Amino acid sequence: MSGYLAYLAKRLGQFVLVVFIGVNIAYVVTHATPIDPVEQSISAVTSFGNTAPEAIEQMRQSLKELYGVGGSWREQYFTFWSRILRADFGPSMSAFPTPVSALIGRALPWTVGLLVVSTLVTWALGNLLGGLAGYYQRSRSFKLMGVVAMGLHPIPYYIVALMLLIVFGFLWPVLPITGGSAMNLPQGWTLAFIGSVLKHSILPALSLILIGVGSWFLGMRSLVSNIVTEDYVQFAELGGVNRRRILGSYVMRNALGPQVTGLAMSLGGIFNGAIITEKVFGYPGVGTLLVDAVYAGDYGLVLGVTTISILGVSAGVLAIDLLYPLFDPRVQVA
Amino acid sequence: MSRTTRAWLVAACVLSPSLFALAAPANAQGIPQNIPRNETLILENPEGTIKNAGWFNIWSINAGSQSNGLQQAALDTLWYIDPESGIDGVWDNSLASEKPKYNADFTEMTVKLRKGIFWSDGVEFSAADVVGTVETQIKNPNMRFSAVLANNVASMDMPDESTVVFKLKKPNSRFHTNFTVRWGAIWIMPKHVFDKVADPLKFDFNKPVSLGAYTLNSFDPDGKWYIWQLRDDWQRTSLGRFGKPGPKYLAYVDPGPPDKRVIAQLNHELDVIHDIAPEGMFTLAKQSKTTTAWFKGFPFGHPDPTLPALVFNTQNENFKNKDVRWALALLIDIKAVAMAAYRGAATISAIAVPPTGKHPEAYHQPMESWLKDFEVDTGKQKFKPYDPTVGKQIADMLRPSLGEQIPQDPKDIAKAFGQGWWKTNPQAAQELLEKAGYKKVGGQWQTPDGKPFTIRVMVEGDLRPVMTRAGSMIAQQWKQAGIDAKIDVAQGTLLTRRGAGDFDTFIGWSVETWGGHQDLSYFMDSWHSQFVAEAGKPQPLRNWQRWSSPELDKIIEQTRTIDFDDPKAIELGKDYVKLAAREMPIIPLMAYNVFTAMDQTYWTGYPTAENPYANPVTNWGNSRYMFVKLKPTGK
Repeated sequence: MSGYLAYLAKRLGQFVLVVFIGVNIAYVVTHATPIDPVEQSISAVTSFGNTAPEAIEQMRQSLKELYGVGGSWREQYFTFWSRILRADFGPSMSAFPTPVSALIGRALPWTVGLLVVSTLVTWALGNLLGGLAGYYQRSRSFKLMGVVAMGLHPIPYYIVALMLLIVFGFLWPVLPITGGSAMNLPQGWTLAFIGSVLKHSILPALSLILIGVGSWFLGMRSLVSNIVTEDYVQFAELGGVNRRRILGSYVMRNALGPQVTGLAMSLGGIFNGAIITEKVFGYPGVGTLLVDAVYAGDYGLVLGVTTISILGVSAGVLAIDLLYPLFDPRVQVA
Repeated sequence: MSRTTRAWLVAACVLSPSLFALAAPANAQGIPQNIPRNETLILENPEGTIKNAGWFNIWSINAGSQSNGLQQAALDTLWYIDPESGIDGVWDNSLASEKPKYNADFTEMTVKLRKGIFWSDGVEFSAADVVGTVETQIKNPNMRFSAVLANNVASMDMPDESTVVFKLKKPNSRFHTNFTVRWGAIWIMPKHVFDKVADPLKFDFNKPVSLGAYTLNSFDPDGKWYIWQLRDDWQRTSLGRFGKPGPKYLAYVDPGPPDKRVIAQLNHELDVIHDIAPEGMFTLAKQSKTTTAWFKGFPFGHPDPTLPALVFNTQNENFKNKDVRWALALLIDIKAVAMAAYRGAATISAIAVPPTGKHPEAYHQPMESWLKDFEVDTGKQKFKPYDPTVGKQIADMLRPSLGEQIPQDPKDIAKAFGQGWWKTNPQAAQELLEKAGYKKVGGQWQTPDGKPFTIRVMVEGDLRPVMTRAGSMIAQQWKQAGIDAKIDVAQGTLLTRRGAGDFDTFIGWSVETWGGHQDLSYFMDSWHSQFVAEAGKPQPLRNWQRWSSPELDKIIEQTRTIDFDDPKAIELGKDYVKLAAREMPIIPLMAYNVFTAMDQTYWTGYPTAENPYANPVTNWGNSRYMFVKLKPTGK
């Protein structure tokens, strides 16, 4: 047990270091952007109006003061870290004075809801079918699935998304093509709202599943194809062990290791949002928020989203590293 | 495969389509719930998804949405100028009961206010609201109009409940334009609400108190839609003078990318599309029997009073010489640019005034004879560069494929496609470049100091595809003439780089006008050399070309001393046009045609070129006039 505790302490240390380095890189990159949030705001405010040029300079100074971009880089850096440690990313520059945390807090549940469900469904479906296809290699149904998976996998995501949109939004208009829920339906834990959210998530989720399932399917089929040739599987079959038990306990379980690692990485990455999905289906989420923030030079918001993403991916990897020794006895921690 | 496994697979295949059972029938997907569709006008909010959806304080800088219906339906100000003909003339006294009255030296402006106008919470609008709007923003220097008001207003008087006197710090014959809507303006603030607020900058104004005919019904906390409802006391608003607005509800929505906007309108779920790519408009014209646009047929789009142009950075050594700028203009084939940018659906302009609203009548038509006689001296020859038939040539090019959609009448052709433009003349361009000291070596042009003549044409990329296509075509034409011209896709950095002067040339605009009024000071005043920043320093709008001209300064200074409606303004405007044609600080291209597509399934009476009572473009404040003209179809 003391070996595991030492391993835990080491991995936690690595986690903190990775997060620190990642957030610093994000800080440097966002501050190196050529987009000036003050100029972006001035352009947004004045481009349609009749603002006299002499007022612009005063507006520029006001915005610098409001956005807190006037200090030295050292002051800005320490202010940033003091805020991060308090889980406060400050106000958004492109939606001033709304706090960044409020914007992310509103967008994140949509992203997490859509991506966690679709990632889990994709993973489960891909691995189940891939495992079966690898084990029942002579089955025509699974051979056909393999062809479909290989056919779908290389298609660019946006093509599949647009096809779904045209089919179910125009040719057979039975599903909503935009938004997270119906217009003018109050948000709350009501059946009508939950039903509406489910309905609006069908097309975005389906697009992610159709594209994502192929890689899990192919990966798992390939892993299982190798495992079925292992001696212990051969011996089990020769020994008359039930085939379902061989598939479940001997083959799939052993093949799942790398797939579980992949799942953790995918789940950690959901905090990046699904930018194209959100754009194509008009689905709310952090992806759109991130893109808009980049265009607006709103580096407070960019840093907020990227920091959460860095934490998500790092925590996913950490969780897998900590759990691995518990369910795979081959992994030694001492 | 075992039977159980096979059974699970079959069950999965059977059950998965049942997800679609959640789907409702067609035509009920993207429309507001709980309100009647036939009483609702659904319009696009081109701002897209609003990050801080619950923010309605339009007086704080860059916070929340403006064109979510807030400025079109809920707010109001003193005057409106329509970019077209207007519902009752171009000028509308909205909260004011008459035009502004200035004293002789333009240091005082008196405003008489309309009586009987009420806020949606029942409080009567009065002079105190106007004074409060100004004073609150001056007291809080970080608000949106604080700087412009603090720079201009010395003090205010309120002789009675319906009169306001602005005492100005310096003469300003155009001060009223700050309270005059073109797209937007300084909106009047409810004093009785803001007086109770500790920090107006951090006040969300949710739920907003309306002065317009509509009040907020509901909105999406995720910023996808806003629904406004007609006030029961709509007669007690300035719009009430024109009758009862047709739609009881207005839904401003984010319909997503252009292809989805087309699908939404084909499904009758989006009544008014703000703008789409020309191809989207052509698809709607072909596939939808109920869609209409500004022009009944080609070129469909509404020409906004904005002039896309090739803007030179005149502080760049290569573009300081007007001969070089003219040479580059003469290498452009505008017909190819119009085809590339708008697939021909463009309204061209040779002069630096948008060819829309009242401008063709005030400038383009009267100046046609001057343009025909105008000469360029290359040093080797004098020639007349203007070709008055280019608009007709574009129409003739399009007629074989579009047939009857292309007008025949020369007046209609000029209205739709513009009048003339500069002839492509590579020989004259070569002579002008040589006159400026440029040399052609091995088929490639070199600058006077022997370096390759390189031009980067900055464009926004897929954020503004029409302008990007125009820029690509121009770069290609210059390249063919031996200039090292390349497209410089700036995407989101364009605004920052434009302000910083970090470009050779770009496709954009530094000319915007009222459209419905001939006065050009809306953009021209900002072209005075007093505002030109040093190279490397940020340039305030709109003189992005950073062009200084003592001759233009004189025109601007004279314009400042005359009344807004003074006919002399047109003569001064013509002087500006002549100067801009001689100097070519920007190469004017065309009007910014906005493809506003309007579905007549539920509503009729939209503004069109035949009935130009308002600008139909959904994010303009003036689009409110559309609401009183719309009639339900009865569907």
